Amino acid sequence: MQHAISIHNLVKEFPRKSEPPMRAVDDISFDVRTGQVFGLLGPNGVGKSTIIKILTTLIPPTSGTVLVNGFEVVRQSLDVRKNICVVLQENAVEVFLTVRHNFLTFGKFHGMTTSEIEKKLGRIVELFGLEEILNQKPIDLSGGMKRRVQVAKMFLVDKPIVFLDEATTGMDTFNKRATVNAIKEEAQRGRTIVLTTHMLEEAEELCNEIVIINHGKIIAKGTTDEVKKLGLQLFYLSLKFNELKKDLEEMMYKFSPIKMDIINNDVSLTVRELNTAIQILSMAQSSGALKHFEISTASLEDVFVELLDGKKRGAA
Amino acid sequence: MKNIAALIYRDTLIRLTSLMWLFFDMAVPLLYLLMFGVGFNKAVGFGIHTFGSSIPYNDFFLAGVLSMSCFGSAINQAYGFFVDRDNGIFYEFLTYPMTRGELLLGKMLFQCMMALAQTTLTLTAAYFILDIPINIALLPVTIIVVMVGIAAWFFALSTIAFRIRRNDTFNTVINVAYFVLMFVSSMFYPLDAVPVWLKYISYINPLTWHTDVLRFTTIGVGEIGIIGIEAAGFVIFLGISFWFARQALKKVA
Ligand SMILES: Nc1ncnc2c1ncn2[C@@H]1O[C@H](COP(=O)(O)OP(=O)(O)O)[C@@H](O)[C@H]1O
Ligand SMILES: [Mg+2]
Repeated sequence: MQHAISIHNLVKEFPRKSEPPMRAVDDISFDVRTGQVFGLLGPNGVGKSTIIKILTTLIPPTSGTVLVNGFEVVRQSLDVRKNICVVLQENAVEVFLTVRHNFLTFGKFHGMTTSEIEKKLGRIVELFGLEEILNQKPIDLSGGMKRRVQVAKMFLVDKPIVFLDEATTGMDTFNKRATVNAIKEEAQRGRTIVLTTHMLEEAEELCNEIVIINHGKIIAKGTTDEVKKLGLQLFYLSLKFNELKKDLEEMMYKFSPIKMDIINNDVSLTVRELNTAIQILSMAQSSGALKHFEISTASLEDVFVELLDGKKRGAA
Repeated sequence: MKNIAALIYRDTLIRLTSLMWLFFDMAVPLLYLLMFGVGFNKAVGFGIHTFGSSIPYNDFFLAGVLSMSCFGSAINQAYGFFVDRDNGIFYEFLTYPMTRGELLLGKMLFQCMMALAQTTLTLTAAYFILDIPINIALLPVTIIVVMVGIAAWFFALSTIAFRIRRNDTFNTVINVAYFVLMFVSSMFYPLDAVPVWLKYISYINPLTWHTDVLRFTTIGVGEIGIIGIEAAGFVIFLGISFWFARQALKKVA
C-alpha cells in the first residue's frame, strides 16, 4: 500500500548570524498510511510546524527525502499541492471579504465551480455553526471565529491529505467539538489527516497513530494504543526515608529508572515496570529507614511529560 | 488557466470592497494629467523642443503620465502582498494547487485589467479634453506597451516586497526609488535638453525606455532606431524581473 506521507532522514536547519545553524528538525523518519489520522505531538518550539511547512511545500528541507502522495516536495511541489489542503498555525483568512466569499475564493482556488461550492457549503455552515456570520467580514470577528472559518474551509474541498497545524487553537469547546467531529467524519471517508497538537486528549480521541517530537527528534512513535501502553507501563514511586544511605541510592540507580530525583532523604522515581517498582520498594523497606511510600501509575499526559523530561536530561 | 481566473476573481472581490482604492487606481493618472499637465502647459507656453520638433507640454507629458501610472499601479498591487501577509492568507495561497509563476501572472493580469480601464480613461480625456493628437492606429500597441510596463514594474516591485518583511521599510525604499527613477528619466522633460551626465544616467533607466516607447506610440515623437533598442531593453527588463520575482517568491515563507 502506498503511503500518504513518507519521510526519510529529514533535516531542516535555519541559518543564524555568526552562530551555527539552528537545527529545527533533526533527522526524522516516519510514514503515514493512507486513511490514517496521524498526530505530531510535542510542546511548543520542537519543530512540528516546520515539518508541516516542509510537507506543504512552503519551505524546502535541508536534506532528506519527503514524499506526499508519492510526490517529492521540492521537485514535484505542484503535484504535492494538488493533493493537499492546509490549516496553517498562523491565521489565514481574507479579512476584507465576507465569510461566504472566503469559501468561494478558497473553493475556486481548488478548482471548484460556484455551484459545486454552494452545494457543499450548506453542510459545512451547519457543522461549524456559521449561519449568522456568513455575510460578515472576518475583520469584525473574534480570533476564535476567524479560526473556525479557516478550519471549515478545509472541509469544502476533497483533497486526499489534510494538514491541520494546531487547528483548534483559540476555539471554544463547541468549535473544538465541531472540528473534532468533522475530522472524524472526513477520516471515515478515507482522507488522510495529519495534525499537530500539544493537547494529548485531542490526539487520543482522534489519532490512529502518533509520533512525539522533542527538540526536532522523534522520542516516541506508534499507534495511539501503543503509546497508551507506554503510559500503563510507567510507575511512580515516592519514598520518604529517615535516613537515605548511599549504598541504597546506588542500588536504586542500578534499576536505571527513567527519572530519579532525590531531595534530602526523599526519593521519587519513575520506572517502566511494576515489577521493578516492587523490587525497589522491598529493598527500601528492608533498609529499615523507610518512613512512607506511594506507588501510582502514570497518566498519558504524565507519560508525555516524562518522555520529554527524560530526553532533556539525556541531552544535558 | 483556472488558477489565474481564481486569482483575478479574488482580487476583483477585494478591490470592490474598497471603492476608494479603486477610484484612485482609476483616476489618479487622469487627475495628474489634468492638474499638473495643464499648469505646465500654460507655464511652458512656448512648448517643448525634442527630436527636432516643438510640441505643447501636455502632449509631451501624456507618455510620462501613462508610464507613471503603470509604476503606481504596480506599487499598489505589490503592496497588496503585505496586506495578504499580515492576514496570513498569503502563506495559504502558497499551498494552493498553482505554481509560483501562476500566482505572479494572475496578480499581474488583474492589474493589467485595471490598467486597461485606467488607460482608456486617460487617453479619452487626453484626446477629447486636452486635444492631444494621439495616434489612433497605434492604440493597440500603446495598450500592449502599458501592460508590459505594469508587468515589468509589478514583478520588479514584488521581488522587493518578498525580500523585505516590513511594509514601512518597503514604503520608504519604494518612495526613494520612485523619486530617483522619475527624475533621472524622460518623464517630465526631454533628455535632449538636460546636462550630459543626467542624459547618460537617464538612458540606463527602464522608466525612460518605457516612457519613450509610450511617447512614440501615442504622439509619434522619437527616433525609431532608439525606440526599438529601448523597447527591446524593456522586454529584457521584464524577463529578468519575472525571474527574480519567482525566485524571491520561492524563498518567501
Ligand atoms: N523561519 C525560521 N527561521 C529561524 N528559526 C525558525 C524558523 N521557523 C522556526 N524556527 C525555529 O525552529 C524551531 C521549531 O519551530 P516550530 O516548528 O514552529 O515549532 P512547533 O510548531 O513545534 O511549536 C523553533 O525553535 C523556532 O524558533
Ligand atoms: Mg507550531
